[in-house]
Amino acid sequence: MAWEYSEKTRQIFMDAVHGKPGTHMGEIEKPDGFGEHGSIVCGDALRFSFRVRKHATDPLQDVITEARYLTFGCTSAIAASEALCTLIEQGQFTPIHALKITTQDIVRFLEGLPAQKIHCSVMGAEALESAVYNWAQKRGVDLAQAGVQLQTKGEDDGRIVCKCFSVTEPYIRRKIKELNLRTIPDITNAIKAGGACASCHHAPGGLQDLLDEAWGRKPMSGGTAPALPAAAAPGEPSPFQLYKHIEQVVAQSIRPALQHDGGDIEVVDVKDDLVYCRLTGACKMMVERTLKEEINEHLRVIAV
Amino acid sequence: MKTIYMDNNATTAIAPEVVAALTPFLTDQYFNPSSAYEQARPISAALNNARREVAALLGGVTPDQITFTSCATESNNWAIGGVARAQPQRRHILTTAVEHPAVLEVCKDLARQGYEVTFLPVDRSGQLDRDAYIRALRPDTLLVTIMHANNETGVLFPVAELARIAHETNPAIVFHTDATQAIGKIPVDLTAEFEQVDLLSFSGHKLHAPKGVGALYSKRGTPIRPLLIGGHQENNRRAGTENVPYIVALGEACRLAALHLADVDRIRGLRNKLEAALVQRIPYLEVNGRDAPRLPNTLNLACHYIEGESILYQLNEHGICASSGSACTSGSLEPSHVLKAMHVPFTAMHGSVRFSLSRYTTATEVNRVIEVFPEVVASLRRISPYWDAARDAPRPTAPHEPPPQP
Repeated sequence: MAWEYSEKTRQIFMDAVHGKPGTHMGEIEKPDGFGEHGSIVCGDALRFSFRVRKHATDPLQDVITEARYLTFGCTSAIAASEALCTLIEQGQFTPIHALKITTQDIVRFLEGLPAQKIHCSVMGAEALESAVYNWAQKRGVDLAQAGVQLQTKGEDDGRIVCKCFSVTEPYIRRKIKELNLRTIPDITNAIKAGGACASCHHAPGGLQDLLDEAWGRKPMSGGTAPALPAAAAPGEPSPFQLYKHIEQVVAQSIRPALQHDGGDIEVVDVKDDLVYCRLTGACKMMVERTLKEEINEHLRVIAV
Repeated sequence: MKTIYMDNNATTAIAPEVVAALTPFLTDQYFNPSSAYEQARPISAALNNARREVAALLGGVTPDQITFTSCATESNNWAIGGVARAQPQRRHILTTAVEHPAVLEVCKDLARQGYEVTFLPVDRSGQLDRDAYIRALRPDTLLVTIMHANNETGVLFPVAELARIAHETNPAIVFHTDATQAIGKIPVDLTAEFEQVDLLSFSGHKLHAPKGVGALYSKRGTPIRPLLIGGHQENNRRAGTENVPYIVALGEACRLAALHLADVDRIRGLRNKLEAALVQRIPYLEVNGRDAPRLPNTLNLACHYIEGESILYQLNEHGICASSGSACTSGSLEPSHVLKAMHVPFTAMHGSVRFSLSRYTTATEVNRVIEVFPEVVASLRRISPYWDAARDAPRPTAPHEPPPQP
């Protein structure tokens, strides 16, 4: 599809890849907070780190002074990473305050993103969340006590609904509510789930069921989806005795004669009366004549 | 900024001669070729002439075996569906895992209707295993449909040989090839080497005609039912008033393609130069299909540890048009089924870029890509969490083992 990025997104992306001063590509050595999201298999991944100005007595008053990212992904994934770091640094946020940055904030900063690219900015929010969790561990902050419910913890263990992108049920449930996702395309655009094989769309416990449960509609799918016919098995096996006979004739009469003249033969397959042979320096007619004479006159040789 | 167009497997520039040939049929020459009056006669003559040009490009087959369609997708749908409807008792179809969706999805649809469909795999270089083909072929096979040249990698399948093996297995097996990417780029002679092919699809816009016109070659006697019915046009094989301007355009494009087949060596030279220069300048770069026979115009690269859409975006800032099999460009969130079937390493799967040249491509343009592309790759690697910019190599922690199977 053709690109529909805003001019702002384009500019942020180009500045980022050219490492223009003021951009945030890179990694902080010994960061105070570090988080990752995505994977190379899925097609986008983000490594996010930040440094804080530590408060002498109260870690809750730490202020993020520097944020950096490394991103594997498309134009909007890179622009969204840059946007996240800019927003955080501009805001002079505490880590807990930074969690209030939402996907919508990032999209707004980029002056819009095409619907199918929203998942790129969701990735930023997720990496930020895991970096804050990392910071809290390092600083001995009890996030629950500080009034923060970090929701990603434990979500990796849930039942996998979208097998193509390894997206779990708890994660999908949370995102449906958080991002107000109403349809399967909404889900796919936001978090990729269901974007590949589509088999989880209407399966029991699949995306439609989760949507219906979230928004109070009755689950529609019952029983299992009709199974697709399996891919075809290879052809019927050739009669064993015939094959043995052919091998025997080839080994005893044909191959020695061919090898005498520097040629060779390999029987690749036999189907009904058709004998598929790989011949080097050999005459197909001679082989066929021998097989016809010694086994049966219906045999035909196909050189492959 | 000047456009450097390197996406000729997606579509091509319309040749000026083609525009000149079709224009009268958008203005004065509007008559229906089926009409009886004098004014319609030049129109039907133009159709016949176009049919002769197409037949000539295909090795001089008789023109009555050429039917004009709206595109290669129609030709493919027609070929596969039409053969299935002609011999309903035969239920086995043999194809490959790397076909264009216009074949692959039609085959999958027939599988849903109860047909047995075998999808042959390819190896790391994109080639078919001939023995697997032979094992899958059955005397009661209805149809073999195997592309001539792959649209993404340019890898060529030996369809002449595969067609011969199918027909020696049983002359009743119909052999179809989607030759959309081959026609006009390499010689295809249906009276000689490719004589065993029964049905062949291609489209005009891949060889400098406009979008919206294609053709199906069907060898006389091939059992096939029409897709569109309700008119006598095209010898009752495809109903609907003929798209005269575009059919004329296709005829002219085929005439020009025949004249320019000699350019193949020059195009191959440019492609090889591009390939060698980029491989030399960029570490961790795969050339997909390098070890297979390939179209002379196609170069499919996979860059480890970066993503294709952001590569294309930066190339486009320099006016360069190319394409990618990455998930982010496909609209489906999944990377190319062709590269997956070839087992391209997962660290490079999302970083593919296809350059496809044409007879209009110049050495200056190729040099410009050689100049720009390595820096684009380097800039994205600097930003990648899997790359160590200081050493210009993957980080020691970057993934390199096969990913877990889903």
